[in-house]
Amino acid sequence: EFRFGPCRVEGVVLSELWEAFWAVKNTLQTQDNITSVQLLKPQVLQDVSDAESCYLVHSLLKFYLNTVFKNYHNKIAKVKILKSFSSLANNFIVIVSKLQPSKEKDMLSISERAHRRFLLFRRTFKQMGTEAALVKAVGEVDILLTWMQKFYQL
Amino acid sequence: AQTTVDKASLLQYVKFQSRNFENILIWGGGPDSTPDTVYSVEYKRYGDKVWLAKAGCQRTTQKSCNLTMETGNLTELYYAKVTAVGPGRKQDLKETERFSSLQHTTIKPPDVTCIPKVRSIQMLIYPTLTPIRSENGHQLTLEEIFRDLFYRLELRVNHSYQTHLEGKQREYEFLGLTPDTEFLGAITILAPMWSKESTPYVCRVKTLPDRTW
Repeated sequence: EFRFGPCRVEGVVLSELWEAFWAVKNTLQTQDNITSVQLLKPQVLQDVSDAESCYLVHSLLKFYLNTVFKNYHNKIAKVKILKSFSSLANNFIVIVSKLQPSKEKDMLSISERAHRRFLLFRRTFKQMGTEAALVKAVGEVDILLTWMQKFYQL
Repeated sequence: AQTTVDKASLLQYVKFQSRNFENILIWGGGPDSTPDTVYSVEYKRYGDKVWLAKAGCQRTTQKSCNLTMETGNLTELYYAKVTAVGPGRKQDLKETERFSSLQHTTIKPPDVTCIPKVRSIQMLIYPTLTPIRSENGHQLTLEEIFRDLFYRLELRVNHSYQTHLEGKQREYEFLGLTPDTEFLGAITILAPMWSKESTPYVCRVKTLPDRTW
């Protein structure tokens, strides 16, 4: 299960997410030839506290579902990519549906810290052309999974 | 006067080969390459603008370059590229795919000592140090990098009889064996979260004869 601080998510098998991504990794990442820009840069994901993690993963996965996957989806011609893509998206939907970030007042400063990290990611995304940003975001799912893996308990 | 460069096929592929986080850049010469072709390596972190030249791998005729130290941060991703220059101002350049040592490294067989006794075989597994260092400079073992790492030990007598043990500890003993009999041991490292499994370390040992009669 995932333990993002107080948020628990069961029923998601991390190796399945990896397998789905590895199946299309090279195809996705070779489409991204802007190697001098990283969306999920260290300032976004490094030293995230447990308490922040639920807010941050919730924001990131919602963005991936509502913006990245939704708009990238209709660019996919190859069936193999579509299958992997759906597997990733479906697992992200399950995770988001089970995350319940606390809305308590005393968590406000923590949620704001997480939100600033998310805004840094989104700002870099918006500074790029939409097409290039979508391709880059999809190619960086491995960075997201590597970070999420720290909160995965066997 | 500006010298013109002829694009040629001096490089076939450029890729990282990583084993236990020892990251070696390797490349293959293309159809136009000759023994005089020289190669120069550059690398960078994904997200950086500037490429860095790798000292010691400039204008070399070698076809590999050790980038372990340069690509040693587990949370970072990297690129490398090789520029090949051949006789007659021929030139070629190829870049690697995005490289993550965590995702790409393969695990070597463990270092094991198999100790036969009269009715048992003991197996001692030694920790595998990697070139990766923690922030305080401590050299990390595979066990410290992969939280879910465990060992699987199989013992085979003949085609029909096989037994196995597995766990995270490093000392194991197969008990209740027949004296003066040859066994084949195979010890593997697994890290399931990263879908990694080493090739086995194999030892062939014979239990000692029973001299108590």
